[in-house]
Amino acid sequence: MVAGAIELSVGRSFPDLDLPDHTGRPRRLSEVAGGDPVALVFFRGPWCPKEQRYLRELVRIQEEFEVAYARPVAVSIDPPAVQTAFRAGLGARFVFLSDAERRWLPRLGLLESSDTVHLPYRPTVFTLHPDLTVHAIYRGDWYWGRATMEELRRDMRAISGAVREGWEDGS
Amino acid sequence: MSEPSYRFLWFDGESLSLEEVPGARRFGADPRPFATSEPVRGAWAHVCALPDDTARVPYDEPEVQGARAAALAWWIPLLGDSLVCLTTLSLDSVGYGGAITVARDPDRFRADPFARIFPGTLVRTDLFGEVAAPPGPVIERYAGAPWPAGSFARS
Repeated sequence: MVAGAIELSVGRSFPDLDLPDHTGRPRRLSEVAGGDPVALVFFRGPWCPKEQRYLRELVRIQEEFEVAYARPVAVSIDPPAVQTAFRAGLGARFVFLSDAERRWLPRLGLLESSDTVHLPYRPTVFTLHPDLTVHAIYRGDWYWGRATMEELRRDMRAISGAVREGWEDGS
Repeated sequence: MSEPSYRFLWFDGESLSLEEVPGARRFGADPRPFATSEPVRGAWAHVCALPDDTARVPYDEPEVQGARAAALAWWIPLLGDSLVCLTTLSLDSVGYGGAITVARDPDRFRADPFARIFPGTLVRTDLFGEVAAPPGPVIERYAGAPWPAGSFARS
């Protein structure tokens, strides 16, 4: 854990980020979650080929999120206009949050310290309960450390099973 | 106690009302734009609905799902700060009757993805307050609420 950073660990509550979305509208993470499970994806930026590849994977399963009451959310240090262009190019329909001023990056202790040019987020995926309790953390500095789409499905299933009434009996 | 998931709205083909109007058609709309004490005065509503009772399709038809996805993908970003709110219009637990996008400027309405389903009518209105645009990506309705209203969150 980075000195002075908020502890991000399984079972703890994730901070209720207050950041503009890709259109520049102010948002809170709790508002974006809207009472649903969340896959919170911190990524370096559109310039990174690993991020391009990973977010294309996420776009591939967004149709499942659309109909299954769960929400991917992507966060980077890019300005909203850059995120809007990247999002449109990907064909993404989920929210991007912009920490262009790096207000949350140091508090979350997620600085990619090896990149002294962009000072971006370390690629990290958190799966969250609707109340923002951390369910799982995936460190993605190395591409294979990221949550696979199957792991996201597994986590969304586990969280939904824990929070949705009638999950067991189907009522 | 949770908030009601819809608010009735009447449309006669030319104007919108929150009170019943003889001959006008009744729809269920997202209640949040009407819960504010400060509606946006002189806004423009693009009402993609018809007063004819036969103008209905199932909410889960692919074209209705596609319009909701298009709203999240590019319609909301295209409207930018002009957007006041948007709501689909429910007729009953399964019936889609149309959608309304409310903006401060009507210039973009010709691109409205909901007009692919029912044609749009431009209506000047003081009824709607500003509501944060739906963040996406959920396009399904919550317990039958007219999208994007509703949530499974316990209040």
